[in-house]
Amino acid sequence: MRVIDRIIGNRSEPEIARRLHHLDHRHAVDILTIETADTARRRLRATTRGGEEIAIALPRDETLFDGAVLVLDPDRAIVLRVGAERWLRLVPADRAAAVELGYHAGNLHWRVRFDGDALLVALDGEPDAYLARLGALATDGRVAPSVDAPPETI
Amino acid sequence: MTSVTTTSPAMPPARSPARASAARIGIGGPVGSGKTALIERLIPVLTERGIDLAVVTNDLVTKEDAERLRRSGLIDPARVSAVEAGACPHTVIREDPTLNIAAGDELEAAFPGLELLIFESGGDNLASTFSLDLVDWWIFVIDVAGGDDIPRKRGPGVLRCDLLVVNKTDLAPHVGIDLPAMLAEASAVRGGKAMIATNARSGDGIAAVADAICRAVLFAP
Repeated sequence: MRVIDRIIGNRSEPEIARRLHHLDHRHAVDILTIETADTARRRLRATTRGGEEIAIALPRDETLFDGAVLVLDPDRAIVLRVGAERWLRLVPADRAAAVELGYHAGNLHWRVRFDGDALLVALDGEPDAYLARLGALATDGRVAPSVDAPPETI
Repeated sequence: MTSVTTTSPAMPPARSPARASAARIGIGGPVGSGKTALIERLIPVLTERGIDLAVVTNDLVTKEDAERLRRSGLIDPARVSAVEAGACPHTVIREDPTLNIAAGDELEAAFPGLELLIFESGGDNLASTFSLDLVDWWIFVIDVAGGDDIPRKRGPGVLRCDLLVVNKTDLAPHVGIDLPAMLAEASAVRGGKAMIATNARSGDGIAAVADAICRAVLFAP
């Protein structure tokens, strides 16, 4: 199994981009896709789109990122793609629902973002599991849920 | 040295590449679930496989778990470091793991060949989780005597850990627990993610936990 112990660079760096471009013409660029949450890991094993199982073991001062080039050989490259984060969009019906929603999100240690009147919750699992924690707030329709569709990844 | 009743097949892990730091794993779970007992069982099994390891323990306001491991005779006492977590054990493994990171760095500096660092959390509640800034992979330990309703409570620790260990399986008949049903429920709430039943007193299941660690972060076959 190939062990990757360094990030070679970013696919957008001019020299790396040029070499990737040439390899891509020969269908020699493989993609490893991981979840957003896994970018914080220094060690993991995963399988590339091309079917190669690889191990990643980075020093603790290096971090995985979308576009990280993991392998850049004369005849082959592996580039990391980070799956887009999915967000549960929750729109409270009124001020009272917003206050209650804020309480639940904090109490449950959810990772959140704000977008106007909506609270966005980072999904690490299915939306129903999150809505179940909101109880009556969700079942009584005081919060309107929807899932932001992630953009297509290459 | 304590004997281990469950022997493990020889499965040498792939050696760590020179550039990378030691693999770091976490072991968390409620008070009394068997975290320290699990580590006491894992140390000889992992050592037998040739893995160079050290341990960082976390306690509230004492160094009780570190002292227990240092006295155990299982590991060089210098390879055990203690962090006092204060009132909230999860704070130093999730919100601000700086103290633990520093303790790990010191052990890595003191033992340059180190391949595996085990961080034992202080006993906490079911919401306890590890930051991936601190560890690469983590185990959550619950126990049969804690009640068969623990998986149903869907605590973040139970749901999000990389490996769930259900310990004290020997106590199931004594506390009225249907063990297969509890394990099935735990597997269901975790969506089928890895789970191992253990009895840390006898050693049952310990080799399987060691296999999981070696495979996940030391890249054994």
